[in-house]
Amino acid sequence: MVRVRSPQDLGAGAAFLLIGAAGAYFGNDLAFGTASRMGPGYFPTLLSWLIIGIGVIVGFRGLTIEGPAIEPIQLRPILFVVAAILMFGYLLDTIGLALTAIVLTTVAAYARRDASLGEALLLGAGLALFAVLVFVYALSQPLPAWWGR
Amino acid sequence: MEFDVFHNLATGFAAALSLKNLGFALLGCLLGTLIGVLPGIGPIPTIAMLLPITFGLEPLSALIMLAGIYYGAQYGGSTTSILVNIPGEAGSIVTTLDGHPMARQGRAGAALGVAALGSFFAGCVGTVFIAAFGPPLAALAQQFNSPDYFSLMVLGLVTAVVLAHGSVVKAVGMVLVGLLLGLVGTDVNSGLTRYTFGISAIWDGIDFLPLVIGMFGIVEIIRNLEQRQLHRVPVSARIRDLWPSGQDFRDSWRPVLRGTALGSLLGILPGGGAVLAAFASYTVEKKMADEPGRFGKGAIEGVAGPEAANNAGAQTSFIPLLTLGLPSNAIMALMMGAMIIQGIQPGSAVMTKHPDLFWGMVASMWIGNAMLLVINLPLIGLWVRLLSVPYRLLYPAILLFCVIGVYSINTNVAQLVITAIFAVFGYVLMRFGCEPAPLVLGFILGPLMEENLRRSLVLSRGDPMIFLERPISAVLLAMTLAVVAMIVLPQIRRTREEAFQE
Repeated sequence: MVRVRSPQDLGAGAAFLLIGAAGAYFGNDLAFGTASRMGPGYFPTLLSWLIIGIGVIVGFRGLTIEGPAIEPIQLRPILFVVAAILMFGYLLDTIGLALTAIVLTTVAAYARRDASLGEALLLGAGLALFAVLVFVYALSQPLPAWWGR
Repeated sequence: MEFDVFHNLATGFAAALSLKNLGFALLGCLLGTLIGVLPGIGPIPTIAMLLPITFGLEPLSALIMLAGIYYGAQYGGSTTSILVNIPGEAGSIVTTLDGHPMARQGRAGAALGVAALGSFFAGCVGTVFIAAFGPPLAALAQQFNSPDYFSLMVLGLVTAVVLAHGSVVKAVGMVLVGLLLGLVGTDVNSGLTRYTFGISAIWDGIDFLPLVIGMFGIVEIIRNLEQRQLHRVPVSARIRDLWPSGQDFRDSWRPVLRGTALGSLLGILPGGGAVLAAFASYTVEKKMADEPGRFGKGAIEGVAGPEAANNAGAQTSFIPLLTLGLPSNAIMALMMGAMIIQGIQPGSAVMTKHPDLFWGMVASMWIGNAMLLVINLPLIGLWVRLLSVPYRLLYPAILLFCVIGVYSINTNVAQLVITAIFAVFGYVLMRFGCEPAPLVLGFILGPLMEENLRRSLVLSRGDPMIFLERPISAVLLAMTLAVVAMIVLPQIRRTREEAFQE
């Protein structure tokens, strides 16, 4: 009966195996070439197999050597932070930096369980002002300050 | 090679002392101190965040500012370590051990003073170190050929992995994944695109910034948010007489000297730098002390040594980058990225092709250290007050600046999607106990390694023995083997594990 002794190592091993396998699979149609005339697939394939090897070693250790458990993954922070990043990207061109900054701040604030809408909006307004003044006017970064440019 | 160090340094000071460059040095130092003080954001995401702003600057100004952030963070980190027991930055974790007990005994001023003066002294020595050792190393590097470069990178990556904390095998895996990610995009040799899946945003390769911001900046935010209790710091430490007493000076000058020497040497090693130097110095001071029992209870030697060491290490870790083109840690990888964006290929050619850049940077480090001494001691009260800004107000701001930084690269939404992907990727790997720093090193070296491997094997018509037949390469590989042997030996392994235990 196989027993997982180090969930972290087993997870890492699986991740490496997956990455290595993906590298080898998607690099398969690249010409490998020979050592003296390396094709575009030579180094990637080499690396992919090395990663697979590491995956096997790390995964094996996960089954044989005692190790720490994986801390439970909390979805709330990841989901809200990632949502804030993506919304920023899709909103910026249409509604401008000032409003987008307020949206981002507010969405990000809800990554915490006990967020306060009023505080988030206030913080967002402050950050929006700062960002527009510094990035758009002072540093002339290529960002629209307001909607419709 | 008739490199006249003092003449060169004079050229460097002339370039670095221009009003504009002084301004950027000051800005870098202030920003560095700020993020060093604030927990929850380190120098890596800050430098990454600010990279787009430096695109429009002259190369020297850009690098001066970025370097200022790096060593400014060392200073700021020690301030909070001493006063509130929170290391704002990894290099100053050790400082909490004795610095904070000192503060609780009412000797915060002495600890802060010794830390600042020790760091300043170490910074000066580090600068001279770069000036003295840079040219000979660069001259040596000019003898290097493709096989030698390949072996050098192998040595650098292996050493970095061994010296980093955490599991060595996983770190090797992360380096390899980084190398593979570095190959994404158009292959310069065949013109074919690799692993792009038809996404045009990565035809030229994955951009450096989304990867770094995602894996360091965003992951850091998410991890901080997971802690139920977002730390609020009661700032109670009062700072009276800032100047250390005569006895303090007598107790600390030797640790400072030892720390400086140790830090300067460890900084040069690939994978070395500030963090390792501080840990090593603390261990040395404790071993050499008459009564090791005092350590952890407010021994001034335990502040003086590591503080000097981390600053010296921060300084000299520029040497491999500027002379060999080899970044020794993730921050140097960022500096390398900044140089490449500015059209400068780091390596031995920097000194010959852009002498004012090289020497200007060296000079600016000394200037920056002097500035930090002036900024830090009188302004400590202000920095500490910043600590009372709660994290719930801080992280949306950090997130906003990260996102603006990434978007400014080429105003492309795809970059933000890539950032989000790397954030999730980095977060999951972190959960499995895999650190992101080795991946970044591999990522930046991937294309270079492939190119040098290709050229070497063309030279030898496919015979891998070329790496052993060329003397420089053979020596480098022998060193690599020695490093690997070290980690396998149980005794050294145990010391390493002890050193990384906080």
